[in-house]
Amino acid sequence: MNKLGYVVLLLVAGLFIHSCVNVDLPEDYDKNKTSNIKSEKYYREYPTQLNVNKDGVDYLESQAPIGKFGGTLVASTIGEGPKTFNPFNSKDNISSTMSEVMYDGLLATHPTTGLPVPKLAKDFSINGNDYIVHLRKGLKWSDGKSITADDVVFTWNNIIFDGFGNTSTRDSMLIDGQLPTVTKVDDYTVKFTTPKPFAPFIRNLSTPIAPKHVFEPAVKKGKEYFDGFMSTNTPVDKFVTSGAFRLKEYVPAQRVVYERNPNYYVINKRGEKLPYLDKLVYLIVGDINNEVLKFEGGELDVIGLQGANVSRFKEMEKYSDFEVYNMGPSTGTMFLTMNLNNRKDAKGKYYVNPTKQRWFSDRNFRQAIDYTVDRKNMVFNIANGLGAPLFTAESLNSIYLNKNLKPYDRDIEKSKQLLEKSGFYWDKKGKLFDKYKTPVEFDLYTNAGNTEREAIGVMVKQDLEDLGMKVNFKPVEFNSLVNKLVNTYDWDMVIMGLTGSPLEPNGGKNVWMSDGTLHMFNQRPAGYNKDDRFDWEKKLDKIFTEGALATDFNSRKKYYDEYQKIAYEEKPFIYIYSPLVISAMRTKFKNLYPSMLGGLTHNIEEIYIER
Amino acid sequence: MEIIKYILKRILQAIPLLIIVSMISFFIIRLSPVDPLAELRLNPSVSQETLQKETQRLGLDKPIIVQYGKWAKSFIKGDLGVTSNGEQVSTKLKERIPNTLLLTTIVIFLTWIVGIPLGIVAALNWKSNLDRILTVLTSIGMAIPSFFFAVLLLIFAVKTGWFPVGGLTSSDFLEKSLFGQIIDIVHHLILPVTVLFTLSLAGLQRQMRANLLDVLDSDYVKFARAKGLSEFDVIYKHALKNAINPMITLLGFEFAGLLSGAALTEYVFQYPGLGRLILEAVMRSDINLVMASLMMGAIMLVLGNLIADILLIITDPRIRRTNV
Repeated sequence: MNKLGYVVLLLVAGLFIHSCVNVDLPEDYDKNKTSNIKSEKYYREYPTQLNVNKDGVDYLESQAPIGKFGGTLVASTIGEGPKTFNPFNSKDNISSTMSEVMYDGLLATHPTTGLPVPKLAKDFSINGNDYIVHLRKGLKWSDGKSITADDVVFTWNNIIFDGFGNTSTRDSMLIDGQLPTVTKVDDYTVKFTTPKPFAPFIRNLSTPIAPKHVFEPAVKKGKEYFDGFMSTNTPVDKFVTSGAFRLKEYVPAQRVVYERNPNYYVINKRGEKLPYLDKLVYLIVGDINNEVLKFEGGELDVIGLQGANVSRFKEMEKYSDFEVYNMGPSTGTMFLTMNLNNRKDAKGKYYVNPTKQRWFSDRNFRQAIDYTVDRKNMVFNIANGLGAPLFTAESLNSIYLNKNLKPYDRDIEKSKQLLEKSGFYWDKKGKLFDKYKTPVEFDLYTNAGNTEREAIGVMVKQDLEDLGMKVNFKPVEFNSLVNKLVNTYDWDMVIMGLTGSPLEPNGGKNVWMSDGTLHMFNQRPAGYNKDDRFDWEKKLDKIFTEGALATDFNSRKKYYDEYQKIAYEEKPFIYIYSPLVISAMRTKFKNLYPSMLGGLTHNIEEIYIER
Repeated sequence: MEIIKYILKRILQAIPLLIIVSMISFFIIRLSPVDPLAELRLNPSVSQETLQKETQRLGLDKPIIVQYGKWAKSFIKGDLGVTSNGEQVSTKLKERIPNTLLLTTIVIFLTWIVGIPLGIVAALNWKSNLDRILTVLTSIGMAIPSFFFAVLLLIFAVKTGWFPVGGLTSSDFLEKSLFGQIIDIVHHLILPVTVLFTLSLAGLQRQMRANLLDVLDSDYVKFARAKGLSEFDVIYKHALKNAINPMITLLGFEFAGLLSGAALTEYVFQYPGLGRLILEAVMRSDINLVMASLMMGAIMLVLGNLIADILLIITDPRIRRTNV
């Protein structure tokens, strides 16, 4: 009797818990049913915001439907959270995102066309080397002080050009050792002059503008003080911002909370000041798994999805309160590259074994590998079908993408012909030998821990074994891999990824120019001055030098089309695929205009909650 | 007077130990092929000049002995240095230590207040049904890996929606009343405390049970019983006093675990404590932060043992006579 009592008790408890558990997926759902998500590529066009003048103030008017005020959006960031809230000090993506929520730049990027659009600036004109920017009249910082040309000139001359904080922006603008100049024309007009025509400059105008009255005392105290200025330990009421939100609370390792900036300059058609949301929260989560749990537990409103989670979420979407969005291929590139380095180290030893050098510097060999790599198979098996095969050096959403470079399928016969042309032959067992009778065998590296790249490595190894090559696949720790790439150069083949800009190919000059710090396929040590460039490397150097000097889009496009063509033919990098960017967001949020360039929440001030 | 002399002696003995620990840790971290600047190097928009400046700022351009000397010098002065992001290590630690202490003290308090009586009850009812049930339960507690148990509880939280999914406070924490804030923290603490409590309770209960059983079997307990003392006096005056001694040593170790004992559970529950901070620091070879935490761990261990030994001296006259 007693035992029976226990059993009944357990059953009741079990049923009780079961009834409280949320519904998950049926056991038999199709894990590869992702085809329906790919077609949802086209969302409605984003209504561009317009300049209006009301009571002497130059507002920016939202053209999106009028929404309701109030509510909170909870987003997340993976990792340790921001390291600083000073946009000029940030060296990592999270800190940049967190500080740029608070500070607007003069210009921003249109989420669909990719063209520069005015933000703090009312309009701008380009006249040769001169960029004239007119500011909006009547704008105020969150503490009520006016935003004027003095703030802009101070930001550029005293913070950026004087080398405070992270100097990457400054370094990227040096043309022949000279910096652009910034001068105040009147209280609401600023003139920028570049020493030479320099097309990428316009993108730099999206750099945040700092409030002079807050930042000037810090700049006067020197660079060391500035490095710790507006850090994560600064009290929240010290932040004076121009963006849609300002900092309300920062709890280390937990969250960053922003509240609406009552002085923001974007208004809706009824003349009410945006943003609609009262609060914007970023939860700081340690890893992807925890982020997914938090979304499913209802603590998060928006989440980026990867791999297997996409099909699961797509299935759950039907009876849940969120929608899955596909923003197209990501801006990063993933590639396979061979070490073309033919130099000796300080001890007179070759970085790369001369036999391997002979293979890798042979274009036929590189092309043969390219034709053998089965990109479609990898997209299907590694990215769960959520990716696009990549053949170009610019990512698929780049506005400079050369659309004449056609994709192709795996063609092992063509590979074999190419290898034969260079004197390679096969023995009876199908093993590949070069014309000096050396068996073809080399190492393939990638960073351990990145499951995607490890999976690609395994598949590349299998694909290349079809050609009779022996590939030793060695995932190594990320840091040691980087050390190999940038210091010791002792590697044969590697799978790597780089981030790129879909708007500005000049950002890739560190990779493509022969003296670049990331010219990894033929890395020259710093200060190397012997000219041993390949012909196509010379061409690339010329393209990147001249491409930055050309000003209008069409003439630049010609240069960058040419560089992609060279990369497509010479195959220093064998591109693999671009994963799709997929996010899920609760349906109660309205005014969403997902786009490839802007993502899901680029118009954060216009997003509102339907109640 | 004697006891102060003893404490001083122990502290002096700890110094060479700490030096050795610090040297081994420092050299292992620095000799491992982890480059703190790897992420920056692979970023196409970072210039060579920036990289050089970073190398100098972190002192990576100097020989390892010089780096160690520099670290040791400032450590002795009480300066823990800056993290690789330029923040003060001491402020970073200060942010996290209270959170970790909150979690671990609650757990230690609960386990001792529950574990010791349960151990006593089990020993007194040796081989009874109660003892067997307790043994089974503690076996389960010891057998489940904390990591796995934590993940299970997290999934439970997601599926039922009864508990928050990790963290320490809700995002609307600031708007809550003081009472609401306390409730919110308690709500967040329940799951991680459950994991750590189940785990350490099992060990403690078994230790206490075994100790007391040992003592109950000894000659002087038999003698006390033979003398006709009441059972209450035998157990609570004579047996328990002797059985508790090994537990004091254990308390010393618990003290050492105050700051580092919950790291794994903290990580799974995304608890904003030291564990997550240190793990992330190790991953990117943030030397000052890792060294600070390792030294803290070593000092806590030395201190914990010292405290336990002093408590033993106070409670156990035998040690007082021989050791001091």
